[in-house]
Amino acid sequence: MTTKSTFLLILRRSCVVGAIVGAAVLFGPASAHKDPVTPEQLKAYQDAFMEEVRKGDLLFHGDGATAKKMGVNLSNTGMACAMCHPMAADTHPHSFPKWQVQVDKFSTLRDMINWCIEKPNEGEKIESDSDAMKALEAYIYWSNTGSVLVPGRY
Amino acid sequence: MSDELERQRREIHSVLQQPGVRPDDSVQITRRTFVHRSLLFGAATVGQTFAWWPLLNTIDIAHAAEAPFKFAWISDTHLYEKSLNTRFVEKVVRAAKDVQAMDPPADFLIFGGDLAQLGKIEELELGNEILKEIKIPKHFIPGEHDWYLDMGKKWGELFGKPTWTFDHKGVRFVGLDTVSRGPDYWTAKKMTPEERMGHMATLDGTVAGPWAGVGRDQLDWLQNKLADWDKSKPIVIFTHNPLYEYYPPWNFWVRDWRDVHEVLKPYTKVTNIHGHVHQVLYNEIGTTRSIGMLATSWPWPYAPEGVPKLTKPMIRVDPGDHFDGVGWEKIAVNPGNQVAKDDVEYVMWGRKEVFIQSESDYGGNTPEILRARIADNMYPY
Repeated sequence: MTTKSTFLLILRRSCVVGAIVGAAVLFGPASAHKDPVTPEQLKAYQDAFMEEVRKGDLLFHGDGATAKKMGVNLSNTGMACAMCHPMAADTHPHSFPKWQVQVDKFSTLRDMINWCIEKPNEGEKIESDSDAMKALEAYIYWSNTGSVLVPGRY
Repeated sequence: MSDELERQRREIHSVLQQPGVRPDDSVQITRRTFVHRSLLFGAATVGQTFAWWPLLNTIDIAHAAEAPFKFAWISDTHLYEKSLNTRFVEKVVRAAKDVQAMDPPADFLIFGGDLAQLGKIEELELGNEILKEIKIPKHFIPGEHDWYLDMGKKWGELFGKPTWTFDHKGVRFVGLDTVSRGPDYWTAKKMTPEERMGHMATLDGTVAGPWAGVGRDQLDWLQNKLADWDKSKPIVIFTHNPLYEYYPPWNFWVRDWRDVHEVLKPYTKVTNIHGHVHQVLYNEIGTTRSIGMLATSWPWPYAPEGVPKLTKPMIRVDPGDHFDGVGWEKIAVNPGNQVAKDDVEYVMWGRKEVFIQSESDYGGNTPEILRARIADNMYPY
């Protein structure tokens, strides 16, 4: 292939890509990131997050009403997550994913949460993408805001 | 930690820890206990760091009781009713059997508080029943979990006064109540006794506030009880909470700890033995040394900041093994210049090595920055 034909090929492809992008801008969804984020929007996003943190905090501290509402049974021993992990200490969300000795496999934080529910707490495992799992994850990550990522750390 | 708090701590430390002032060794500390944490992690390599250990053994010095003896410590059993949780029951039963089997027997047992989890009559009676297995004299101090359901009523019926003193073979032993003087957070909020207890039972809760304290009345009592005691004779003080500021957000302190040390200042051989922290701890302030004890129920992680530099950390434990990271203690008190090998012996079930052997054994090896919880806030902080 000559230098000229290569150049023409690139030119043609660029035109096609340019046409698609142009069409997307002209005829795409009217609201697609056209306006700067407003303080109200920011607050709504933050509130949505903090509501999950709050629910996770309650679940983590063994609040029966929240567990019932979310349809989960995280413990049958009277133990709550926070009894071994005050302020989510020693959960180390920033060290996942990693080889988790107790689980005996390469694990995510969600795997470890379920291990704690099933083993020390003798509760019922929850779906990995369930609302309760997301709330617990939100609380644990939020509690560790500022902890530096060290994935894989024993 | 904020710069201001750090500055205040440095200032307090410089006042309380004068150069050259150290506790006399009224209760011996094994070299395993007494290793400087900053030496452990301050040196360039693990090999170099651990090479310091034998040198520090020379710090062990005996003290002067009239005759050698041992006593035992159990605390933080956190019993639920049997129908809910048998795991904690099994561990208290085991500790009681262990203590009873000591040969030669211990002179007495100290129970260091938090017998119950939620202060219920059934929980306290269950604990009392199990500990009847131990036939040697028993002395009890309360924990916050024993107290805040009925404000110490049942505990008092079972175990008597929470503050006491007795002399034994040349050592003055003192039991202090560090839990009952919490500021009233319940009346204005019209809490039920169960709600009051629930907030108190949450270590990282924000509602109960700085509840741990000795109180002016008890400080005066202590000063009075020590007034006739020779300044150079050994004193051992038992408390549920540590008598220094370790980590106030979890009430790993008493709020009037500076006042406690003002009272103890003239005495040169003071040892404070405490529970509450569910972990191995060692600290010195002025002429007082403090030793933290294991729980039988479950271990707590070291706080994200404030671990005393003199603490040699305990090993990180397996959360899948209920008998790991927990246990009880034998404490040897020896006469004259005799050096005992194990003066404070941590009996951690299922572990030969109670203390970390390398940096990887240390839970604090993965640094973390934590925030206080939000969901129990009753007003914006």
